[in-house]
Amino acid sequence: MSVNPMAYEAQFFGFTPQTCMLRVYIAFQDYLFEMMLVVESVILKKLDGFPNCKISPFQIRKSTEKFLLFMKEHFDKLFSKMEEVLLQLVLNIPKNVLLPEDKVHEQYPYSKEEFQALQDEINQLQQQYRAEASAGQALRAELEEQKAVRAELEKILQWFDGLENICREHGTGNLKESFAFLTQNSKKLQDVLKDVEEKSKKIKKHDQLL
Amino acid sequence: AGGDGGSPVPAAPGRAQVFATVVDTFLEKLVAAGSYQRFANCYRCFYKLQPEMTRSIYDQFISQLQASIKEEIQEVKDEGNLEVLFNSLDKIVEEAKNQEEPAWRPSGIPEEDVRSAMVPYLLKHRSYLRKVLKEKEEENRKVAESVLTGRNRIAELQQLIQARKHAWQ
Repeated sequence: MSVNPMAYEAQFFGFTPQTCMLRVYIAFQDYLFEMMLVVESVILKKLDGFPNCKISPFQIRKSTEKFLLFMKEHFDKLFSKMEEVLLQLVLNIPKNVLLPEDKVHEQYPYSKEEFQALQDEINQLQQQYRAEASAGQALRAELEEQKAVRAELEKILQWFDGLENICREHGTGNLKESFAFLTQNSKKLQDVLKDVEEKSKKIKKHDQLL
Repeated sequence: AGGDGGSPVPAAPGRAQVFATVVDTFLEKLVAAGSYQRFANCYRCFYKLQPEMTRSIYDQFISQLQASIKEEIQEVKDEGNLEVLFNSLDKIVEEAKNQEEPAWRPSGIPEEDVRSAMVPYLLKHRSYLRKVLKEKEEENRKVAESVLTGRNRIAELQQLIQARKHAWQ
């Protein structure tokens, strides 16, 4: 015979129904025995007031035992019936009933795999976010660099523009052209110099050979 | 218990009612079994000697026994807050009356059971992550645009400078 531990009921009530029934049974039984002892002692006391009667305490004890035995039998039978009804109808949770505190199990019956998939998805999202965050940082760093570079380049442009303004102011409008002419000429001169050097080297060699 | 105003159908007794009735029935039957006749019969010699005393002793015994039993029941009800729990359970059972399938029960394995409890939090977390990821991606898109624009501008400036340089050669 399998014993139903009534664990779900215990979750709801805060005690196991069978334990509750047992406690009540023991309490009731104790009261019954107690009352009987009181009855017996009262009768014995009353008998003390009748010193001539032939009733012995032993007889009284026998009577008490008789009545108690009878009561106990009925008590056990009746209690057993009561316990059955209480455990089936009152202190029970029908099989189709889910306690409100357990609602999540009805709403989200996730299997091991589904749960794992959800966790994996979350991990992936976290990684993606971290990647986006670093990308964002890199982009912003470049923006800062660009700012600095742009500033430098604009400075250079401004310098060129400043130069042109000076030329214009001092009326030497073709300073640019003459400067360019000068640069080219000095380059030409340098080339010619190189040429002459090489030629003179050749002549010297020629002379030596001769 | 109770139906609404218009319906004459009596509701089934609630758990508290059944509990009270069952206890009362138990006591009734117990008292009936331990009748005065039975008592007097067992204590026959004393009964013959003092019939009124026997009656009064019996009455006290029975009433004291009943009182003790009722007191114990009340204690159990108070300690366990049973009245409230019975009504609450009646409501829960009533709400589930259309459920035919057996409901979930703890499996006894905490690792299994805790999964469903965690799911709502994980779902919230997931939707939060999705949201911030989208926002970050959008933010980065805008910054990337600025970066590209910036690069173009710098290239422009470099070209202008080259042009000036050539003009001075």
